[in-house]
Amino acid sequence: MAQGHTTASAILHNFRELIKEPKGLDDAANYLFQGLLDDVVAGIFIEIHHLRKTGNLTALDGVGEENAESAYRICEMPNLDIFGISTAKKPMDCTCPNCDRLVAATRFAPHLEKCMGMGRISSRIASRRLATKEGSSASSTSTSTYLQSGNTGGTDDEDDVDWSSDKRKKKSTQNSRNNGSKKNNGKTF
Amino acid sequence: MTVSNTVDQYTIMSGDRSKIKDLLCNRLTECGWRDEVRLLCRNILLEKSNSSNGVTVEQLIAEVTPKARTLVPDAVKKELLMKIRTILAENEAEN
Repeated sequence: MAQGHTTASAILHNFRELIKEPKGLDDAANYLFQGLLDDVVAGIFIEIHHLRKTGNLTALDGVGEENAESAYRICEMPNLDIFGISTAKKPMDCTCPNCDRLVAATRFAPHLEKCMGMGRISSRIASRRLATKEGSSASSTSTSTYLQSGNTGGTDDEDDVDWSSDKRKKKSTQNSRNNGSKKNNGKTF
Repeated sequence: MTVSNTVDQYTIMSGDRSKIKDLLCNRLTECGWRDEVRLLCRNILLEKSNSSNGVTVEQLIAEVTPKARTLVPDAVKKELLMKIRTILAENEAEN
């Protein structure tokens, strides 16, 4: 402890002696600046060396753009986006799986609702239409949707094509029936 | 006692060394010197690695250091020398 104290005070003393005169102060400042600068240079050099050894330097350099220039050149033509693809909106049409008509994508959901007979009013219209449409092909000539769905229910497993029309129809008719009965119940009680 | 010994010991003891070093690093990064030196180091490393493998790190650092010193902008150098002088002098006044 005593040894450390004397050493520290000796350092302090030497330092004071050194910077008493302006020349000593200048020397000290210059020396300190150069020393720290060299430290920083060594640090940067070792940092780059480390990057190179770990392979990160090539990653930092990246891929040269001269060969990829043509592939990634930004297109500046009017009516084209930066990739050179037309900005004009393409009409998006969907084919209705039920009636095979082309329907605009924005109108598809409402159309499907009507076409397949969701909802109360449209279900009646749709089921009537489907009944007349399938009346010729089906063996039963009954116009009752309930009976027809019961008939087609047996053929569900035999062919998979009819999922879009018959299955949905069965479901929707049942749903509408259930809804109706529920409403009636709610009203009477 | 030499100048280098005294200054090193004193600045480490009083904690001024890290203070000045932080200041120096900040200034050099701000003025873009750091990026320049990085580029320099990279070029030297790539060039040496192609030619021969018998080069030590000390040799390469000795090659980089003088170039890096000349790259330091005068304004930064002046400002830092002045700051260092102020810090050293004010410590003397305190004690």
